[in-house]
Amino acid sequence: MTEPSTTLPIDLRLPPDPAMSKVLRLAASGVGSLCGFTIREIEEIKLAVSEVLIALIEHGAGEPVDIRFLASMQEFQVHGSTTIGPEFDLDHPDLALCRVVLDGVCTEHHLDVDGSQVRIAAILRRPFPGA
Amino acid sequence: MTEFTNETLSIAVAEDGTIVVTGDIDMAGGPLLDAALSQRNDDKAVVIDLAGVPFIDSSGLRSLLDGARRARARNTEVVLRSVGPEVSRLLELTGAGGQFRIEPRRD
Repeated sequence: MTEPSTTLPIDLRLPPDPAMSKVLRLAASGVGSLCGFTIREIEEIKLAVSEVLIALIEHGAGEPVDIRFLASMQEFQVHGSTTIGPEFDLDHPDLALCRVVLDGVCTEHHLDVDGSQVRIAAILRRPFPGA
Repeated sequence: MTEFTNETLSIAVAEDGTIVVTGDIDMAGGPLLDAALSQRNDDKAVVIDLAGVPFIDSSGLRSLLDGARRARARNTEVVLRSVGPEVSRLLELTGAGGQFRIEPRRD
């Protein structure tokens, strides 16, 4: 298999609608499949992107969410950002649960606040920690 | 049979009270599960059949945990029936399995 050209970024802008979670998982599944990830690995990718979107939609200000996939045959990265919500709390229990899941499925993940933006990145590098 | 449905999830409540869930328990599906679970206010165990659940994330898990918390307040419990690998995986990752009585899927 030749290296697919999907190391180029794939950018999505999603409305802050919970129904977008399934849309994002379907998109991630397609990209993961194109890059040759196994079904088990794709399940891990789906869980990671879903957690990223939970963090952004539930803790954002209700504005659109920007998502970027960077994928190759060796790793899948999802980067997301949105405007921070008025009561954003890095230590919120729901956000803590997202991070527990990301701890288990990702090679590394980061959640940062930068001015009015919250940014989150989840990186799954082969061999995936849980797959 | 009572039913709750949206774009990602379908929930049916069988005559014996079993809550049969079909679809993804995610940010969109979780509130539907909350609605089904909040209808239970007796002291019978809350049985949730998850055979038709191919995906669950932390928002869906929160709905299950809220249901377990409410059940404990009524001196009963939540039974997760026909738990598949996706649900097992999340329970394992989060250490939340102890909050439920779990009956694995018989494949």
